[in-house]
Amino acid sequence: MLGYLFDGFGFLFSSMAALALLAGVVLGIIIGVLPGLTATMGIALLIPLTYYVDPGIGLSLLIGLFAGGIYGGSVSAILLKTPGTPAAGATLLDGYPLAQSGHAGKAITIATISSAIGGLIGAIILSFLAPQIAKIAVKFGPPEYVLLGVYGLTMISYVSGGSLTRGLFAGCIGLLISTFGIDPITSVPRFTFGTLNLLTGFELLPILIGIFAMSQAIEGVRDVRTEVKAQVKLTKIGISLKEFVRILPHVVKSAFIGTFVGAIPGTGTDIAAFLSYGEAKRSSKHPEEFGKGSIEGVAAPEAGNNACVNGAMIPMFTLGIPGEAATAVILGGLMVLGLQPGPLLFTEKPEVIYTVFASTITSNLIMIVLGILGARFFAKVLSLPKSVIVAFIFIFSVLGAYSMRNSMFDVLVMAMAGLLGFAFSIIKYPIPPVLLGVILGPLVESNLGRTLLISDGNLTIFFKRPISIFFILIIVATIGQNLYKHYSKKQKNKTL
Amino acid sequence: MRKVALLMLAIMMVSSVTFAQGVQEEEVFPSKPIKLIVPWSAGGGTDAIARALAKNGEKHLGVPVVVENKPGGTGAVGLGETVKADPDGYTLAVIPVELSFLKESGIYPFDFSNFTKIMNLNTDPSALTVKSDAPWDTLEEFVEYARKNPGEIKIGHSGTGMLWHLAAATLALSTDTEYTYVPFNGAADAIASVLGGNIDAVTVSGAEVSSQVRAGEMKILAVFGERRMDIFPDIPTAREQGFDVVVNTFRGLGGPAGIPEDRVAILHEGFKKMLEEPDFVQVIENMGLGIDYRNTEDYNKLTENTAKTLAPVLESLLAVK
Repeated sequence: MLGYLFDGFGFLFSSMAALALLAGVVLGIIIGVLPGLTATMGIALLIPLTYYVDPGIGLSLLIGLFAGGIYGGSVSAILLKTPGTPAAGATLLDGYPLAQSGHAGKAITIATISSAIGGLIGAIILSFLAPQIAKIAVKFGPPEYVLLGVYGLTMISYVSGGSLTRGLFAGCIGLLISTFGIDPITSVPRFTFGTLNLLTGFELLPILIGIFAMSQAIEGVRDVRTEVKAQVKLTKIGISLKEFVRILPHVVKSAFIGTFVGAIPGTGTDIAAFLSYGEAKRSSKHPEEFGKGSIEGVAAPEAGNNACVNGAMIPMFTLGIPGEAATAVILGGLMVLGLQPGPLLFTEKPEVIYTVFASTITSNLIMIVLGILGARFFAKVLSLPKSVIVAFIFIFSVLGAYSMRNSMFDVLVMAMAGLLGFAFSIIKYPIPPVLLGVILGPLVESNLGRTLLISDGNLTIFFKRPISIFFILIIVATIGQNLYKHYSKKQKNKTL
Repeated sequence: MRKVALLMLAIMMVSSVTFAQGVQEEEVFPSKPIKLIVPWSAGGGTDAIARALAKNGEKHLGVPVVVENKPGGTGAVGLGETVKADPDGYTLAVIPVELSFLKESGIYPFDFSNFTKIMNLNTDPSALTVKSDAPWDTLEEFVEYARKNPGEIKIGHSGTGMLWHLAAATLALSTDTEYTYVPFNGAADAIASVLGGNIDAVTVSGAEVSSQVRAGEMKILAVFGERRMDIFPDIPTAREQGFDVVVNTFRGLGGPAGIPEDRVAILHEGFKKMLEEPDFVQVIENMGLGIDYRNTEDYNKLTENTAKTLAPVLESLLAVK
C-alpha cells in the first residue's frame, strides 16, 4: 500500500507529470479567480488535451486544475466579494469584511493555508481509507440526503446576522427560487412562463454572482461620489502562531466534513463549504465575530471545500460514481482514455490510482507555495481606486454569468439577482440564507420525493435507519441550542 | 450645394455596396466553420462523442466543426436554439432520442418535424441491472417475482418521462407487471442507490453499468437491445429470454428543418468519414458505447419506429397520473 504510494510519487517526479500538475494548479487558480470559469468547465475544456499524453500525466493535470480551481475561487471572493466558483460562496461571508478592514493579504494567506491543510487531510483519507468510506457513502440513501439537506438549512440560523426571522424569510425566498423548472420527480414544468430557458430552473452561479458581486457593484455606483477615500490600506500578509492555533481545530474538523460530503454522490463543494462554516460558527469561542471578518470564518469553508475535492474522488475511483460535478467530468475523461473507474481499477491499474493519490497530496503543497507568494500580489488589487474596481466587477459579473453555458438568459438572471441582493441590503435582510435555500432546496425536494416513493408514503422510514436517526439527533440539537441561546439572551435583557 | 453633392455621393456609395451583395457569387458549401450544438453540458457522454467526432472535421469537410455546449431543460435549450437557426447547414446538433417523444409529455415544444435529419451516430440498449446478491438471475425470475408482488420492486431511472423510465415502463406493459419507479438526477445516482440497497434495479444503459458489472458488484438480467452487447457477449437479450422488450437510446445528427438537400448530402458524406476515423472509433470503444451509423433514410425509420413503439407506453404512464 505505502509502497504503491511511493511508486506513485516516483512516477510523478520522474516524468512530465509533476510539471503537468504544477501547470494544472496554476491554470486552476486562474480559472478559479475569474468568475464564471469554474473548475468543472476548466476540466471539461482540458480533457481533449489529455487524449494525447500518458493517462498519469493527463490525470495529474486535471487534479491540479481541480484543486487550484476550487482554491482560486476564494481569492476573488475575498477581494471583490465576487465568488469565482460556487464553492467560494461561504468564504466571502468573512473573507470580504476581513479584506475591507485592511487584512486582504492575511485573509488570502489563511484561505491558502486552510485550503492546503484541508486538501491534504482529504488526500490522505482518500489514499488510505477510500474503499471503507465508499462503503459508508453508498449507504446514504434518499432519506439521509433529505436530512443532510435539512441539517444544512439549520445553518440559516448561523448566517442570518441579527434577526433569525429575517434569515428564515430570506431562506424561504431561496427555496422558492429553487422550485423553478421541471419537477424532479414528476417532470412537470413549473414556473417556466413558456420559456425553454426556465425548464431546468435557475443556474446557481449566475444567482451567486448577481446576489453578491452585482449587488455590490450597484452599491458601488451609488456611493462612488460620496466615498472620497475608499481605498483599503494593506497590512502584512502573514498570520501569527496564535491565529494559526485558533483556526487549526476548525480546519481539521472542516476537512473531515468536506471529505465526507464529497464522498457521498450528489453533493458538492458548495454544500461542504457552508456546512463547515456553520459548524465553525457553532463551535467557535467568538461566534459574534462571524460575518464581520472572523479568521475562523475564512478558514473553515476553505478547508471544507478543498477537502471535498479529494472526498469526491473516493466514490469515483472506488465505485465509478462521481462525487460531484467536476468529478463527473473527470470520470467521462477517464473513460475516453480507456480507463474504467470502478472497483476493478484498483486491481487492474493500481499505478494510475497511486499516481492520482500522489498528485492530490502534491497539488496541495504546490498550492500553499503559490498562494503565499501570490497573496501580496493579489491584495494589491484593492489599492486600485474604487471606481475602477466597480467597473471591473460589472464586467466580470456579465462575463461570468454568460460563460457558464453561453447564455444571455443567465446574464439576465444575474442582473435580477443583483437587484434582489441590492434590495436586500437596503432593507437590511441577510443574503446568505437565500443562497442556502437555492443550494439545498433541490437536494431536499428531490430526495423527499424519492424517499416517499421508496417508503410508499410512509414517513416512519426516517426513524428506521441508523444514519438518518443520527441526523435527526443533530438537527434537533442544533435547533435546540439556538432556541436556548435566543431564550437566555432574552432573559438576560430582561434582568438588565 | 457642395453639401448636397457630397450627400448624393455618399448615398450612391452606400447603395452600390447594397447592390453588390445582391449579385453574390454562388457559394461553395461549406465555406465557414460549422457549429455543432450539444444540448448537454461539457463532459458527458454526448459531449465526448461530439468532441471526438469534431476533431476530424477539418480533414473531411474542409472547415472546422466547433462544438458548442448549450445545456438546460433536459436538452430543450440547445435543441430550441437549433430549431431557430438558419437552415443553411452551418448549425447542426447532436439530437437525443427524447426528441421522438418529449413533445407528448409537454417538455419539448418541438419534435422531429422541426429538424432536418442527417444520420444516426450511436445506439445503446437499456439493460435491466440489479445488485449481484439479488435473488433473481434471469428476467423470467424477476418478472415472476413482480407478478406475485405488484409494485414492490423499485426501479431507478434518470428522470420521469426520459427514455430509461420508458424502458422500465415498456417491461411493465409487455409483461403486465407493476413496479415503483424512482427518478434520479442522472444514471450514476440511480446506480449508487442500487449499490446502497435503497432501490432494487435500474434500466439505464448497459454502458453506464458496465464497470459495476465487470467488478461483480451488479448483474445484468437482460439487455433490452436487438442483439447482445459487444462488451458483454454472454448476457442474453430480453428477446432471447422470451420477452419482447427492445428499448435503445440513440444519438443522431441533424439541423433545423429546411436544409437544402445538396448540403445535407455534403454533410452526410463528411460526417460519415469522421465516424469511420480510427481515433474516433477508439474513443467510443473506450467508453463502452456502440457506434451505429445509419443513413438519413434509416435514421428516419428509427425515429419513427421509436415514436410508434413508445406511444402506448407513454399512454400507460399518463393514464396512471
